[in-house]
Amino acid sequence: MKRETDYGYALKGAYGPEDVTGFDYSRDLADPGQYPYTRGYFPQGYRSRMWTQRMTAGLGTSAAANLVLKNYREMGQTGGICVISDRVFSDCIDPDHPLGRREAGILGWPGCSLLEFEELMDGIPLTGQSITLLGSSAPSVMRLAYIVALAQKRGIDPSEVHGSCMESPFENYFGQTDVSPFDLNLKLFLDAGEYVLRNKIRMRASIISQHFQESGGNSAQALAICLSMIKEVCGRLINERGLDFDTTSLFPYELVSVGTRFFDEIAKIRALRRMYARMAKEEFHAKTEKACQLLIAIHTSGRTMTFQQPLNNIVRCAIQTLAGVIGGCTALDNATLDNAHSEPSALAARMSLNTQHIVAYESGAADVVDPLAGSYYMEALTNKVEEEGYRIYNEIQGMGGMIAALERGYVQDMLSAEAAKKFQEIDRKERLVVGVNHLVIPEEDDFEIPIQEVHSHDSEKIADRMEAWKKTRDQAALQTTLAQLYADGKKGDRFNLMPAIIEAVKAYASVGEVMGTIRLARGLTYDPFDMIQCPYAYE
Amino acid sequence: MHKGKGIKVIISMIGLDGHTTGGEIVARVLRDAGFEVIYLGATQTPEMILKAAIQEDVDAIGISSHASNFHQIEYLVELLKDNGMGDVPVICGGNIPKHVASRLKGNGIAEVFPPGSSSAQIIDYVTANARGAARKSA
Amino acid sequence: MVEAGSDDIQAVTAALARGDIRACARIISRVERAEEDLVPLLRALYKAGGRAQVVGVTGPPGAGKSSLVSQMIRVWRKRGKRVAVLAVDPSSPFSGGAVLGDRLRMADHTCDDGVFIRSMASRGQLGGLAKAAGDVLTVLDAMDWDVIVVETVGVGQNETAIIRHADVVVLVQTPMGGDDVQAAKAGINEIGDIYVVNKGDHPEADRTVSQIRDMITLDHHLHPESTWIRPVVKTQSILGQGVEDLADAVQQWFDHVRNHPETAAARARHRVRHRTAEIIRDTLDKRLLRDEEQIVDSMIDQVVSRHRDPYTLADSLLAGMA
Repeated sequence: MKRETDYGYALKGAYGPEDVTGFDYSRDLADPGQYPYTRGYFPQGYRSRMWTQRMTAGLGTSAAANLVLKNYREMGQTGGICVISDRVFSDCIDPDHPLGRREAGILGWPGCSLLEFEELMDGIPLTGQSITLLGSSAPSVMRLAYIVALAQKRGIDPSEVHGSCMESPFENYFGQTDVSPFDLNLKLFLDAGEYVLRNKIRMRASIISQHFQESGGNSAQALAICLSMIKEVCGRLINERGLDFDTTSLFPYELVSVGTRFFDEIAKIRALRRMYARMAKEEFHAKTEKACQLLIAIHTSGRTMTFQQPLNNIVRCAIQTLAGVIGGCTALDNATLDNAHSEPSALAARMSLNTQHIVAYESGAADVVDPLAGSYYMEALTNKVEEEGYRIYNEIQGMGGMIAALERGYVQDMLSAEAAKKFQEIDRKERLVVGVNHLVIPEEDDFEIPIQEVHSHDSEKIADRMEAWKKTRDQAALQTTLAQLYADGKKGDRFNLMPAIIEAVKAYASVGEVMGTIRLARGLTYDPFDMIQCPYAYE
Repeated sequence: MHKGKGIKVIISMIGLDGHTTGGEIVARVLRDAGFEVIYLGATQTPEMILKAAIQEDVDAIGISSHASNFHQIEYLVELLKDNGMGDVPVICGGNIPKHVASRLKGNGIAEVFPPGSSSAQIIDYVTANARGAARKSA
Repeated sequence: MVEAGSDDIQAVTAALARGDIRACARIISRVERAEEDLVPLLRALYKAGGRAQVVGVTGPPGAGKSSLVSQMIRVWRKRGKRVAVLAVDPSSPFSGGAVLGDRLRMADHTCDDGVFIRSMASRGQLGGLAKAAGDVLTVLDAMDWDVIVVETVGVGQNETAIIRHADVVVLVQTPMGGDDVQAAKAGINEIGDIYVVNKGDHPEADRTVSQIRDMITLDHHLHPESTWIRPVVKTQSILGQGVEDLADAVQQWFDHVRNHPETAAARARHRVRHRTAEIIRDTLDKRLLRDEEQIVDSMIDQVVSRHRDPYTLADSLLAGMA
């Protein structure tokens, strides 16, 4: 069995002062709330601000997802909501697209138009809690437009809504493929970023190292990737959109995956805060303290949730949650014990949310900020992961940054080699996973867990509804707004499409229509799958 | 490891499934065991997979599924049968609930590998059950 | 449908002629397995062929060949042409296995009956790769495809040998810096009839185009007898830009050879020489390297013990073939 971190650092049996020689408290740690923020952003930790405890929702119709959200609120989830999109919406097609019909509402929320968002949010406040909408990169602009449009409809200033609804375009390379081309995703992502920053809307974008790590990348690589992604995004908002760093720093937040290697994970989160703060100050010359503070949301690792003996996953989830909390996160949501089987059942969701409540209120872990600071082992581990992270970060910067490294295939090769290594380690029992390659029990002895059923006939229903509803819309308003979007789409990469998208969304244009129109304007096919034609003539 | 010599396998996601990690690892495992892998990637409809299977004349089809609309896998099996490709086994892997796995096996899917399956299990199964396995071991 | 194992040459030929995809796919598998009894069929198919335009596409790894081919298919389909593709991918030197990903990048066309895509690993077949590729092209050419694309990575002798089966060779490059241009000049550039600089949005793209043009001009001064002036096309395969121009350039080549029968004849003769040499080499390889024939084994032993010499052995083998 390997006794080393996932990035290959061999652990010693004991740690002492010799492992932290040169340690300088004020330079390396400083008090909580002080640069470089290794110990967190608040002097009193969670006493100052509790992490947002949340579960991800989204399955079936918008009305069904709305009930789940209300149910979570009753379970004590009041800090914020988190909704994940279905694949149809993520691929920017409508439920009544031939491929949409098979999968609408499966694995997420079928949010293809403002109508769906209105139904999702029925009776749920837009303000006073964080609103998080997950999905893929390309429809980020749609999700943002829904929030702006619904806020305006409810008579709320959009700048009063906070949360996140945008995703960086990089995840397409991290095992979460969608069909939109990278350059389009990047352009729209920067449009959304520029729009929220200029209009002071407190909506953030997730820069997801989670997918990278869930697809097999190691902790040190994840740190390097994370910083490189943020640097690329902020750099482009500064250079191409004329914003300053202190403003752009309000755009990204980091979604980190936390696995079962307890101490490694805490070290990773601490190192991330410190590395980001240094990058902000030294590379971007940040002026404000806030600009040196990266918000870190945690998703406990789905890939560690085993298919075999799923109840064991409750224990894994608890260890991971505790690591995330001790590491000092801004928000946390959990993978569920049935992650390797299906979408979360009500029972599994409640278990995960209760895991957070138990850690928050029973364990005492939230009482004292950064409790492991000063531990020889923890400080050595934080330094190690940082050192290896910097090595990779410098390599990526040497190539010209994140996008240049992707163009070269450097990041993809690194990820696929690491994924293969992880698989091999389990295959060869170099890493033990209870119930999978160690202490395996016969399948028939396994405890049966409730399974969340996914019904394909729901998809047909959603599709039929969409098809009929589309005909009831104000066609004149639709055509005018889409024609404007098409015209704007031809004005080049730096021309911000958000205003035109918001107008089209208010006229109830669907994601297929909005994205199809933008695609046409850029010389692509209307339909990413090239199966349907644009219903409107623009020229 | 040359167990897979001369055996041609499709590895694909089905439907709009964009989770490519599992499929890529299996493709790599099979390649390293000497198989020829036709990697179709994400967002493949059953019709597309059928067409690829015919044109490439493959010996087995592996579907990596991260909780899909599983009816699409059953539909693929039907399509293969209707097109004279019923002798090409369809093998699934990924996040598939147990009762769905039993249903799939009852509906013509050759085998379902849950997460955590070893590479040896996968390689041995495909080697023994690919179309023309007898010819290849001869 | 005609069964894969059928030796009924007429039936197979007829099946291919009426576009039976499954028959075609299964015969290609037999070619890959180097089944000996295929030769009579291949003889018949060769005579039935010669209609399609065989377009070779080659270039270094990562140049975007597959995406470009995918875009070219789109243009050809719009022009009413039926297209078959043979995509040859390198195999792992360690296991002999391969992950063939070209199909992934041509996914747009997988539902189109007017398009056939077949992947081939560089070590999957039992005989020589170039010979097998030649045989596959013979099978495809006996069908009613208007265009047959053969795509390979432009490295290695094997791959260059494949591309010589094509009527016209499209060489795909990416924008590059100084050293790379020098290497390209020295290397495989001589096999291209049409040059493509892909990823045309790259800042170096225009410079690369003009450097290749300079090289062509120089080459034309050195060989004034050649009537075809090799065009350079800038493309951006992700947006499909320049691809119409590329399809036009390919068509111009075929128009050119129609108007220059002497060029056409020279190229055709060259292809036959090359193809035949591949067949001979493959036959010899089979006899000499596969350790299957006792007579050959005993002759080899005599050479080992210096009772005979390798020249005599070579003469005997060649005499046996004649």
